[in-house]
Amino acid sequence: MAAAAAGRGGRLALARRALGPLMWVAGLAVPIVLASSWVSILAIFAIYAVVALSQDIVLGRAGMYDMGHAVYFGVGAYVTAILNTRFHWPIFATWPVAIVVAAVIGVALSAPIVKLRGDYLLVATIGFNIIFVLAMSNDVFGLTGGPDGIFGVGVPHVLSLALSSQGALFYLDWLVLALVLLIMRNLERSRVGRVFRYLKEDELAATTLGVDARYYKILAFAIGAGLAGAAGTLFAVQLASVSPGSFVFTESVTLFAIVLVGGQASIPGVLLGTALMFVVPQVFRGLAQYRYFAFGIAMILVMVLRPQGIWPRRRSGP
Amino acid sequence: MDVVLQQFVNGVTVGGFYALIALGYTMVYGVLKLINFAHGDLCILAAFIGLSVLTTGIGGANAGALMVALAFVVAAVAVGIAGTVLELTAYRPLRKAHRLSAVVSALGASMLIENGIMLVWGPQVKVFPSNLLPHISWSFAGASISFVQVLIIGGSLLLMAGLYYYVHHTRFGTAIRAAAIDQDAARLMGINVNRVITSVFIVGPALGAVGGLFVGLYYREAYFNMGWIYGLNAFIAAIIGGIGNIPGAMVGGLLLGLFNAFAAGYVSSTWQEAITFALLIAILLVRPTGILGERVAEKI
Repeated sequence: MAAAAAGRGGRLALARRALGPLMWVAGLAVPIVLASSWVSILAIFAIYAVVALSQDIVLGRAGMYDMGHAVYFGVGAYVTAILNTRFHWPIFATWPVAIVVAAVIGVALSAPIVKLRGDYLLVATIGFNIIFVLAMSNDVFGLTGGPDGIFGVGVPHVLSLALSSQGALFYLDWLVLALVLLIMRNLERSRVGRVFRYLKEDELAATTLGVDARYYKILAFAIGAGLAGAAGTLFAVQLASVSPGSFVFTESVTLFAIVLVGGQASIPGVLLGTALMFVVPQVFRGLAQYRYFAFGIAMILVMVLRPQGIWPRRRSGP
Repeated sequence: MDVVLQQFVNGVTVGGFYALIALGYTMVYGVLKLINFAHGDLCILAAFIGLSVLTTGIGGANAGALMVALAFVVAAVAVGIAGTVLELTAYRPLRKAHRLSAVVSALGASMLIENGIMLVWGPQVKVFPSNLLPHISWSFAGASISFVQVLIIGGSLLLMAGLYYYVHHTRFGTAIRAAAIDQDAARLMGINVNRVITSVFIVGPALGAVGGLFVGLYYREAYFNMGWIYGLNAFIAAIIGGIGNIPGAMVGGLLLGLFNAFAAGYVSSTWQEAITFALLIAILLVRPTGILGERVAEKI
């Protein structure tokens, strides 16, 4: 199947293909070997990686400047938190609801604005983010708990087994990341993925060939929002609480920057970007004061030195 | 009646500094098609610099008109220089790169300036002393207007008139407008586009600096991360007026100031930001080129 493509690389390609599964197997040992603070950092990495990959679908693949992606992440987290704490649904039952609600909101918000070009779309999505955070902080419908958010989100249960330890959540988060990576790979090879790329490169040419640009752009938002919603559920479980502060506009900016710093439409790039933007700050918590100052410099430096991102997408065939 | 008039006065005041800040966004966008996300932070940097000048020992407690004038000049010059440095280091190398690279660079610059302010002046809210400006207010027809409001309204109108003259009635202003329409054609006509861009990054931040110091003097406080929200509002003002259009930014600023004042006064102040963004999205959907923007065919 893929042998023809790998033919050129020979042994290197073989080593590469073996490396991936080996790393996943090695990852199984993480909760046993590492200290629990590291386990939770790596678990949070997996969650943010899913959100960043979902942002990449909209921004890096379909080419729409979405700077309000934290909204969909937040919708997923809030749906799970509300259903679990107010209506006592089990976490796994809230999950599909979170995904569907996030995707529906993605469709509803994007449908009127996908016709806007680049920067205007960007500003409109910033607006959605600000409105979302205000709505959550002002406790709309009396469900969102106001500025403090919602506490006491439960843990997921598999049959009667509660996934309450850091290690169990780690496995769950990474399992989801693996699934999302699989989805991303399939998307890349599918017709939909090619249409996204075509729309990004040349929308006019795509529409003249009969591509329904509006439909596919909204579809990109629906997929991106749904995956972000799925990550939202994991986030609510990981923190056992949700609050508006986790989904503010700055978070959307960070997600946006991850894709650009890592490399648009490049899976390793986005993962690397996530590691740099979310995990490195966690590690350097002690230097909190200088953290974002250095961060700003780093963002400028990366862009100036590598405008296509640190690990850009490889040119894949004709 | 008096409430309406009072909201009008407040709205025009706020609109004055929104307009001054919006000019920087619109000038940069006009020439480079770049949203300079660091602009709001540059403007708030000016408020801090101005405050430091005003509270240094030189003028003593009762600073006097001269110190206030000095504060404005120092803030405008310093931020003008900062804007130039920003352009040279963070934006110029990316002139030919993908557009979003420059956007991320701008976001990084914003983060850098915001946290730079925090490292220098600290994370607490800085209060402007109450004795910086005279406490005079005039009342007419049931509304009152204070000295600082007169200063802001007068100052911003004067600066906007000056900029309008500069852009529309001088040779270099013509060059700026030409570069905004078509950089390559402007270059072929012998215009030094790099000089135009440099000048835009001096004039825009310098005007924004005055706007930022107005913000500080009006609310009598400044905090390191307030650049975002004022920047966003000013940017919305620029879009309302038609981004890239200089008179549009002035009109948009005043309109947004009035809109915000009445929305906060009559609808809800907790939802004010949401209302502002709802207005913005509505305008984008109905008339994305803004009020004064011209409808242009998309370049293919």
